[in-house]
Amino acid sequence: MHINYWHELIRNNFGKLGLAMLCFVLFIALFAPFLARYDPGEPSHAIFMPPSVDHWLGTNDIGQDIWSRLLCGAKNTLLVALGVGVFTTLLSTVIGASAALVGGIYDRILMRLIDALIVIPAFIVIILVAAYVLPNVWTLIFLISILTWQGGARLVRAQTLSLKERMSVYAARTFGANKRYIIVRHIIPNLSPILFAVFIHSATRGVFIEAGLAFLGIADISTVSWGLMMHHALRFYYLDVWKWWLIPTGLALSVTIMALVFIGHALETAMDPRLRVMEQEEWQ
Amino acid sequence: MIELKDLEVRYGKRKVLQGINLTLKRGESLSIVGESGGGKTTLGLSIIGLVEGTVKGEILFDGKNLVALAEKELKAIRWNRIAMVFQNVENALNPLYTVLDQVSEPIVAHKLGDRKEATKRAGELLSMVDLPEGRFYAYPHQLSGGEKQRVLIAMALANDPDLIILDEPTTALDALTKVEIINLMHTVCNERELTILLLTHDFYAASTLSDKMAVLYAGRIVEFGPTPALLSNPRHPYTRGLLRCYPSMTTTKDLQGIKGRMEFFDDGCPFHPRCTQSLEKCREGAPRLEEYDGRLIACHRGGIIPLLELRDLSKSFDSLNAVDSIDITLYEGETLALVGESGSGKTTTAKLIMGIFEATEGRICLEGKQIHGRDKSFYQRVQMIFQNPMEAVSHRFSVREAVREPLDIQKQCDREQRESIVRHILEEVELPSSEAFMNKYPHQLSQGEAQRVSIARALVLNPKLLIADEPTSALDASTQAKVVKLLLNLQEERGIGMFFITHNLALARKISDRIAVMLRGHIVEEGPSNEIIRNPLHPYTKDLLKAAPTLNSNVPLVPKHTSKKKEGFGCPYANRCDKALEVCFNEKPQLRHFGSHRVACVHA
Repeated sequence: MHINYWHELIRNNFGKLGLAMLCFVLFIALFAPFLARYDPGEPSHAIFMPPSVDHWLGTNDIGQDIWSRLLCGAKNTLLVALGVGVFTTLLSTVIGASAALVGGIYDRILMRLIDALIVIPAFIVIILVAAYVLPNVWTLIFLISILTWQGGARLVRAQTLSLKERMSVYAARTFGANKRYIIVRHIIPNLSPILFAVFIHSATRGVFIEAGLAFLGIADISTVSWGLMMHHALRFYYLDVWKWWLIPTGLALSVTIMALVFIGHALETAMDPRLRVMEQEEWQ
Repeated sequence: MIELKDLEVRYGKRKVLQGINLTLKRGESLSIVGESGGGKTTLGLSIIGLVEGTVKGEILFDGKNLVALAEKELKAIRWNRIAMVFQNVENALNPLYTVLDQVSEPIVAHKLGDRKEATKRAGELLSMVDLPEGRFYAYPHQLSGGEKQRVLIAMALANDPDLIILDEPTTALDALTKVEIINLMHTVCNERELTILLLTHDFYAASTLSDKMAVLYAGRIVEFGPTPALLSNPRHPYTRGLLRCYPSMTTTKDLQGIKGRMEFFDDGCPFHPRCTQSLEKCREGAPRLEEYDGRLIACHRGGIIPLLELRDLSKSFDSLNAVDSIDITLYEGETLALVGESGSGKTTTAKLIMGIFEATEGRICLEGKQIHGRDKSFYQRVQMIFQNPMEAVSHRFSVREAVREPLDIQKQCDREQRESIVRHILEEVELPSSEAFMNKYPHQLSQGEAQRVSIARALVLNPKLLIADEPTSALDASTQAKVVKLLLNLQEERGIGMFFITHNLALARKISDRIAVMLRGHIVEEGPSNEIIRNPLHPYTKDLLKAAPTLNSNVPLVPKHTSKKKEGFGCPYANRCDKALEVCFNEKPQLRHFGSHRVACVHA
């Protein structure tokens, strides 16, 4: 059955909403330098200023403009999302697909490895490691990725196994196709929807973990991160500043995560025929 | 009695007959068959010395070389020893004389009696050929075609010849008259111990009137052997082609023609432009008539080649023997239908040939060579049509990409050529080759269209062997008919050997030359389609035949599966067979030969 996933995504209301939200965040991240009125790192203002015309969201404890920091935080968050998404998907694909295609002992070893890794709570391990290293964005991306690829790899392996047995692949073999041709022309194109789903899920997880770590204070102080902003804001809970410091930041983070979750949900619906049918009945 | 040695006849520069070597003993009957224009009549005329061309070589009649004989001596032999029944009933009789006069004429002319005696003898002859007495004084135009033929035979017999040459004696006669004439010929020839040389394109006359048969093509004999053997198992592609064109109650396959037209060649095999298995050498030198298995064949390849041979092929999945030492041969340009219920191992067999599964045991030979590894060149020669076209074509491929895929994989030609090949093949399978159609995706096609796309894919590499796995089971009857016709036409054009897997015996009967019945991994019966249909020997085949679709309203009784006893040891049909004996459950019956059949049943 041929499904155009992009169309399905657009057709789905959650998908539409998610995409719109993600585009919004993306817009902010890209145009932050133009939208921001001050250098987000510049502690050159009075501290704890309430929102005003000059400082829309006031200033923080060391006199940085919160509005500017919020805008720049989007860049950091999306970078993590993209980085973790790409890196995890790549790892999952290479490991999952090769396990399925090579099979045999190689497959068995990898699968046991995945079983072992899957029981390790990634978040706690990252906290432990990060506590020592105090990672910057790139090390964090790397860390999250190598600890969370297992689920994706399993999915990709399962899908590849079923793709490998497709009649169209057998047909290609009866035309004399070699492995490379089959992988490039038949396996990878058909894996793409699942890879996209894996990408979205890992990105969501990446954003979540990064924010969580920063919220716990495990982050490079110099990065502008929403998690870190919340971490700092929370220290001054007794002041009024949380209204324009904590809440907008939390909202921004929620919007980003929700955007990704909605897209993920819409994709799942598109890929699972049973869900699709239910959805259609609901709408009718 | 008569011997032709290196006979060659030419009209001007055109050789109409060449290299004819035939021997006919007294009392024997030989038929010479072939398309019209192949030189049959010329052969007959050259024997009685009436041919207008230049004759070379020898025609020995009782030791005398007729070619060297003077006209006067020839006259003594002609009609007295050798008589001919001419073709073309309409013009062979003189319209101005009554038939009695015409029959008595050769007697008078050869001075074997006076007119009175001659008339008496002519009367006898005419009554012998069952012409009603009232018709003796009729003029030719008053006679029917059958009656004229009788008169002509009577004329030929007038001087009591030893050898009678019959040139198309039954053409243009209706069925019953034809049988009467053949019966007449039979009795007459047996009574008089005549030697018959029958020139005809009618296999029915040839099969009933001759013991031996020579197939003449473009002035050369291409196959020679005993008539029944030649008819039941033609080994020269031309003989097979002729038989496929001939509608008879014996054959079940749809009529197929022979591609191209007859042309005369001095060099090379005369049949090579129309032959589907011709090689380069077929164009260069004429093949000699050589002996293969008790008959003479003039073919560089030794007659129709075995294209695919499965020898003791087995495949087991763990403890299940999906295919259990099967043994099948498929000849070039023929269709072998593999018939059986679902789960009997048909598709597994196909996949074994294609190399999708690795055989547990046994050999697969293609054109006589055993297949070890399958490389691109193997897949160029062997292609498969998958059961479900929607699945076999990737849903991401447009029609263009799907049909081009084999070419892409084989890296044949450049882009533009591939494009034109794709268009050509789409037209060949009767699909539109328009831009709009080629950009469609499988889910936008109907079942029939998708199946044709799948056929086009299989044909685009121009394979010699096509494995068709239930190619029509998902199609409605009218689409099925078109697809089947298409495949048969391609077989006629390209000589594709088809390994046709189906559960539909009624369909198999119309398209296949041979049928192999498969049951639980075994071949239980195998043989020519007409034999299997007319005279099935295995109980399973009989039940399949009973269950085959008919247009009668009565529903046949088909045995149910009764697990009476342990399975797996004995005959695969023992549990359902109503004639099963103790031995059927304990011992696997071997495939044994019965005529042209092979059957694995203790009762056969």
